[in-house]
Amino acid sequence: QVQSVAIAGKPSTKADDKNATTVIQAEQISGRPERYIQFDEKVELVKGTTTMVADHAIYRNLEDELDAKGDVRAVRNGDCYNGDEMRLRLDTNAGFVINPSYKLLRNNGQGKGERIEFQDEERSTVFKGTYSTCEGFDPDWYLKADTLKLDTGIDRGVAGTSVVYFKHVPILAVPSFLAMSFPLSDARHSGVLPPSLGSSSTGGMELGLPYYFNIAPNRDLTVFPKYIQKRGLQVGLDGRYLGVGYAGETNFEFLPDDKQTGTNRYALASTHAQTLLPKLALSWNINHASDDAYPADFATNINKTAVRVLPRDLTFAYTDTYWNAILLSSKYQVLQDIAAPIVPPYDRLPQLTVHGGQFDVLGFDWAVDTILTRFSHPTLVRGDRAVIIPQVSMPFLQPGYFVTPKLSLHATNYHLDNPVAGQDANSQRTLPTFSLDSGLIFERKANWFGSQMTQTLEPRLFYVNTPYRDQSQLPNFDSATADFNFAQMFSENRFTGHDRIGDANQLTAALVSRFIEDSGEERVKLAIGQRIYFNQQKVSLGGSVSQSRSDLLLSAAGKISDTLSAEASLQMSQSDNEAVRSNYGLRWSPAPRKVLNAEYRFQRDTVTPNNQVKQIDVSMQWPLANRWYMVGRSNFSLQTNKLIEGLAGFEYKQDCWSFRVLAQRFVTATSTSTTGISMQLELNGLAKLGSNTIDVLKKGISGYQPIN
Amino acid sequence: CGFALRGAVAFPFNSIFIGLPLNSPLGGELKRNIRSSGQTTIAADAKSADVALEVLGETREKVILSYNSQGRAREYNLLYNFRFRVVDKDGKEVLTPTGISLKRTISFNESQVLAKESEEVLLYRDMQSDLVQQIMRRLAVLKMD
Repeated sequence: QVQSVAIAGKPSTKADDKNATTVIQAEQISGRPERYIQFDEKVELVKGTTTMVADHAIYRNLEDELDAKGDVRAVRNGDCYNGDEMRLRLDTNAGFVINPSYKLLRNNGQGKGERIEFQDEERSTVFKGTYSTCEGFDPDWYLKADTLKLDTGIDRGVAGTSVVYFKHVPILAVPSFLAMSFPLSDARHSGVLPPSLGSSSTGGMELGLPYYFNIAPNRDLTVFPKYIQKRGLQVGLDGRYLGVGYAGETNFEFLPDDKQTGTNRYALASTHAQTLLPKLALSWNINHASDDAYPADFATNINKTAVRVLPRDLTFAYTDTYWNAILLSSKYQVLQDIAAPIVPPYDRLPQLTVHGGQFDVLGFDWAVDTILTRFSHPTLVRGDRAVIIPQVSMPFLQPGYFVTPKLSLHATNYHLDNPVAGQDANSQRTLPTFSLDSGLIFERKANWFGSQMTQTLEPRLFYVNTPYRDQSQLPNFDSATADFNFAQMFSENRFTGHDRIGDANQLTAALVSRFIEDSGEERVKLAIGQRIYFNQQKVSLGGSVSQSRSDLLLSAAGKISDTLSAEASLQMSQSDNEAVRSNYGLRWSPAPRKVLNAEYRFQRDTVTPNNQVKQIDVSMQWPLANRWYMVGRSNFSLQTNKLIEGLAGFEYKQDCWSFRVLAQRFVTATSTSTTGISMQLELNGLAKLGSNTIDVLKKGISGYQPIN
Repeated sequence: CGFALRGAVAFPFNSIFIGLPLNSPLGGELKRNIRSSGQTTIAADAKSADVALEVLGETREKVILSYNSQGRAREYNLLYNFRFRVVDKDGKEVLTPTGISLKRTISFNESQVLAKESEEVLLYRDMQSDLVQQIMRRLAVLKMD
């Protein structure tokens, strides 16, 4: 015979859980009214989202408190708690459970302990307990801590003095002052980062133990001490912040007294952007390394050693509706490789750029750019340069065709500090340019491997006329011959920068065809183009002067099917009928975490053969067997028959943890390379952030997806 | 061979608000293209327009594409990702968040850092024109009801 008692919550306008009416059922109910009620046999409590069953319970009116005993099972907000004994204050939801086991709803976090105390509806503390995201009585990994503070409101757990066990072996001890925190949901906040263990040819054995501090929701700090056997203890700091009107990240690595060099080794990378006033913004990008060999000695991947020119920029930008001004101060640190020295770029101390312009004023677009720069350099010609470029164009657009005539003027003034013999300290150059861009767009319905699509055919003609001026005596601060491609083809100047303006009387012809799906998505693009020169080009930057026709450009790219995409491009010289640049690539991704990439890349450089690129790049992520994945990349130079970057590894995925081992080899400088192996264990729910190893895989294997 | 000059694009709306600043080159080019293709007008604010294009994200990224035999970067990929959606007057999505990704390759040489900086600007402008055409294609097939 089931009986029930209802206990009213405190009167409240809010219909929340705290003030909900409590209904308790049991087979036997006894007690003294206004003092206590005793419930026995199949006790069931329901109060808002809280439910509880137990063998016995007693409710005390005065304290508004319920004591339950014998096989207590409670559910609060979807989180389950079982134990021998439970006390719950019905007004505040505070209480405790003796000998509890618990399971949280959001991320399957579970464990047991000696006692759980509920501070309120959302906050609780587990004493002498465990935490794991693995199912079952014998979890693969668990955290054992003297205190575990769980807050389901902000989805965060914080452990006191704790030890992490993997397969019952203690692998990590965390003292209480580090207050290791971990997420209680899938949200990627707070958590320790997985430790990494490895070995490399430059550093010997390496052990990294990163810690992640979630200082505030918009600010965090990662500290990654790393012991490098051959060198010493390196400490890295990475701080990120984000606020209203500002954001930034600073990364600093420091290794005092390197065992090999006897010097302090360090590197800094800092970016920051901030709105100072509604229209005024400040930003910086500062990079520094202690010495030329720093990346080669400490880099964990090729992306770090591949960059040898480190920028240091400070920028103020003022933006108004129709004009903006940018004040830039820019310097570079060059990390020299003695076997292949680099000519340092010019510093701009400072550069002021003012741009004004409007679109569609009575059909016209106009713009005026003014650039004032002080170029400085330790060895080359230094000086000031002023450039002003007014331009006006009148695009005439119709759905089926367009014509854009454009007129521009390039006026430049130089004042040099240390002109070389034969060079004037002061010189000017003024050059007008006329261009006419035009194109047609045809369409038809077409069939692409069985699906209906729209195919376009877009012929385009672009004429440019710029008169010749002798510029051989002008300094070259920021000019170079631009890559010849489909964007460059339709621009007026064959040089980038402002020191060389190419003489031109030329016509570019190109034909583009696109296949467009019914949704409007572009599926495939095919293009061919060439430039015809009516006059012999005279302005040059040392390269060969072209004949009557430019290189021929051909390109094709797109998705052949939902799983297969291809890309091919070819730049073909018309004088020797040989490729100047080419690449052919394929990507096959038949399922998630299953991708295969293969590409051939070629870039001719007859002047400096070291800069020539001729390589085959193959990479993949492929499931081998249940839970096992293989990852790999081989970037192989056909020119030197050497591996530029090689990656090979395995990943193993369990429901609540994963493990990866990765071997790497990459070129760090002329005739030096690094070989290494690293291992990593990732415990789901404890460490939810991407690690260094995952970064290497994401960058090395296009289309890589993390397995957990 | 069945090709015909593209005729007027009939957008399934009479007016559109483009959620980009007045001085945005992308916005300028997009507005001109929409206006040129027929009866559709560009509204000055979202309230007076049939539909509004909302920009959800615009990111630029530069990643190393190839290395020379000394392990130095010799080619970069410039990636331009644009995400947008289109909502009608009542705030209902007529085009769910859609991403368009564009990519251009640029060669690199340490002694030409400054020149390569302005070459990047040229390539981003080229991607912008490509992006405008792709947005136009998506707008032309919107399902309004």
